[in-house]
Amino acid sequence: MIKDFIKLAWGNISHRKIRSWLTMIGIFIGIAAVVSLIALGQGLEKAVITQFNIAGTDVLTIQAQGTGQGPPGAGVVNHLTQDQLDKIDDVLGVDVAIGRIIQTGKLEYNDQLGFGFAASMPDGEARKAVHEILNLKAEKGRLLRDDDRYSVVLGNDFLDKTDFGKEITVGSKVLINDKSFTVVGFLEKKGSFTVDSAVLMNEEPLIEISNIPEGEYDIIVARVKNTDDIPKIKEDIERVLRKERNVKLGEEDFTVETPEGALKNLKKTLFAVQLFVYIIASISIVVGGIGIMNTMYTAVLERTKEIGIMKSIGASNRSIFTIFFIESGVLGLVGGIIGVLLGMGIAELLAALGSAALGDGFITTQFSPLLLFGALAFSFIIGTLAGLLPAMQASKMSPVDALNYTK
Amino acid sequence: MNKDLIKYGLNNLWHRKKRSLLTVISIFIGIMAIFALISFGQGLSSYVKSISSEMGTDKIVMQPKGGFGNPTESAFQFNEEDVEFVKKVSGVSEATGMIVTSVQVQQDTAKKSRYVYAQGIPTEQSEQQLINELFATDLGSGRELKKGDTDKVAVGYGYSQPNTVFEKPIGLGDKLYINGKKVEVIGIYEPIGNPIDDMNIYFTSEAMVDFLGAEKEYATIFIRSSASEDPREVAKTVEEKFRKYKDQDEGKETFFVQTFEDLIASFSTILGILNTVLVLISLISVVVAAVNIMNTTYTSVLERTQEIGIMKAIGAQNRHILFVFVFEAGVLGIIGSAVGMFFGYLIAKAGGFFAASAGYSMLQPAFPLWLVLGCLVFGFFMGALSGLAPAYQASKQKPVEALRYE
Repeated sequence: MIKDFIKLAWGNISHRKIRSWLTMIGIFIGIAAVVSLIALGQGLEKAVITQFNIAGTDVLTIQAQGTGQGPPGAGVVNHLTQDQLDKIDDVLGVDVAIGRIIQTGKLEYNDQLGFGFAASMPDGEARKAVHEILNLKAEKGRLLRDDDRYSVVLGNDFLDKTDFGKEITVGSKVLINDKSFTVVGFLEKKGSFTVDSAVLMNEEPLIEISNIPEGEYDIIVARVKNTDDIPKIKEDIERVLRKERNVKLGEEDFTVETPEGALKNLKKTLFAVQLFVYIIASISIVVGGIGIMNTMYTAVLERTKEIGIMKSIGASNRSIFTIFFIESGVLGLVGGIIGVLLGMGIAELLAALGSAALGDGFITTQFSPLLLFGALAFSFIIGTLAGLLPAMQASKMSPVDALNYTK
Repeated sequence: MNKDLIKYGLNNLWHRKKRSLLTVISIFIGIMAIFALISFGQGLSSYVKSISSEMGTDKIVMQPKGGFGNPTESAFQFNEEDVEFVKKVSGVSEATGMIVTSVQVQQDTAKKSRYVYAQGIPTEQSEQQLINELFATDLGSGRELKKGDTDKVAVGYGYSQPNTVFEKPIGLGDKLYINGKKVEVIGIYEPIGNPIDDMNIYFTSEAMVDFLGAEKEYATIFIRSSASEDPREVAKTVEEKFRKYKDQDEGKETFFVQTFEDLIASFSTILGILNTVLVLISLISVVVAAVNIMNTTYTSVLERTQEIGIMKAIGAQNRHILFVFVFEAGVLGIIGSAVGMFFGYLIAKAGGFFAASAGYSMLQPAFPLWLVLGCLVFGFFMGALSGLAPAYQASKQKPVEALRYE
């Protein structure tokens, strides 16, 4: 029975070729736009998350609250201190706590000037921990050691960089805030600007060149022994810092962020932006749905006599409803299939163009099964919803009136 | 003749109410989105324009490079001698530095703290005048800061609103604690239009150093060029002279100098690009609507094949038939646009209201006349163009065959 209905629906759709095509074009333009935008959006999201290099799952990040603009530690009034670092290190379950200084500065080489961030590396065990947490390895030369003084390790972006007119190599001298440093190594590429564009040096020289008081940190990272304890350790650190910094519960002037928390926050921000674009793009699918509704009303009107005949030879209201309902569903679904394929093509094309213009890797596409099947399901649902009213109208017709109907 | 054709077309649309209505709906949705988006873009650019006209075109800013979005974080700041040097450059009529630092602010030492920027306002008359012109806002109540106002501050608009900076709004004469030190509020500014700037605290330049203990360093130097000089030329001269003064080579400057006009222009270019992208995305739905109009017109051509045959048989020419169907499609487009603009207006107004209540009063829609007329014309032509192919098909039908059509 249902097979006959589908056959009937398909027959009717192919009978009115121009109209069916136009109706489906309406749907697939919208679906193609949404699919390609979401695919690019998800690709971009992945790229952004990699860029922010949210470190391992066993690390808590502690920052003092500031005005919230710029790199960690910028615009902070009460900095994190050495005492606080020591107290965090003593919290039960914390493997090691590391304080880091992050400062903006200028780097000069071959008489050319660049601006960026310099980050400090701690001594001893903590240094090893930072290397492990960020998975830092030297691509050329070596990493920093405790006895290094005016030595720097540069991020991978500095390798083969032509910005300075001449390549920086291991052993090159660079001026950082007018002080001469020797480059001892380059980091492996990480795909994240926080590491790839980093200038790493030991704490002492960084304090010296950036004119900041000793014993103040911009960011503290604490590695835990057991990831299951993270919620409890977070609470303990918060309690310790409240006491140290003399603030009450609910009035903290610092944040302790878990890896999941950091990821969640980032995703939340990205989602808000994406959602706005998606909503605007989805409008076109709704417009396509209205096109289907229009087509179905026309079809019901044109086939009034047919409906009368079918009813008079025994078709139930339900059968008539199903016939038109399936027809509009098929219009939506076929439009959706074409739209998804077209959308994938457009997304790949845009990604290729984007990569050509902006360099490799940043603009990529992500086709999750959820997106593809979701788009198909959505177009089918739009089709059936749009067909609902016309199909009901058709099913409710009295056979006599329908047979009497003339155009 | 044309009058008859117009009447005939309108009658047909009215006759097929449901279909016409659905087609109109499909157009108005897209137009609504476009109208609302463009009105925001327009509002923003007129905001930018009003700022630049209020500030005048004679302002120049000088900033250190490498600030990365935070004025207190630049690797280098200017000092007193730098400002004095800039003052003496030919073409410069006035120059002043602004000390900026981040501070902790509380209503009560036991209460919640907020972290905001404190800015130093010069107390010298002409320099204060320059800063006042540069601010996109005026003092709403209270008085300007003057020499000797050590523990007195003026605050941004956000403080006077409940649940914005603090739960309880601040009034004139109220006390605030800045980095734990008690100060009195003597002035409250009108809104600048974004939450961060509206949370600023203003001290006198002297108080920034003596009271807050900030370094006497400037993140920005504001310059007024002489009335007779071209500000862009002055900016160039300042850059060149200052470079030599600092003994820096060309291309290796640690600072940049830009006229305020150029600074604002680059800001509004970015906004313009973003707005265009959104408008392009919403244009997709208008394309879909155009397809719907085409479909509707094809259907009515098909339905009225016999009618076309009769009209032709009694002397209607091809162009008359063409006109009827193109006109019908155009009317659908223009009605859809009108309805769309109405709803777009409501949405933009609502959006502006929500933006203002979130502290972004700079985000307000504007509805210039050209936008309204443009949407109507666009709607008509979009409709007429979509109806062209089906109308052409109708006009080419042979009367005999059309009459025979079942």
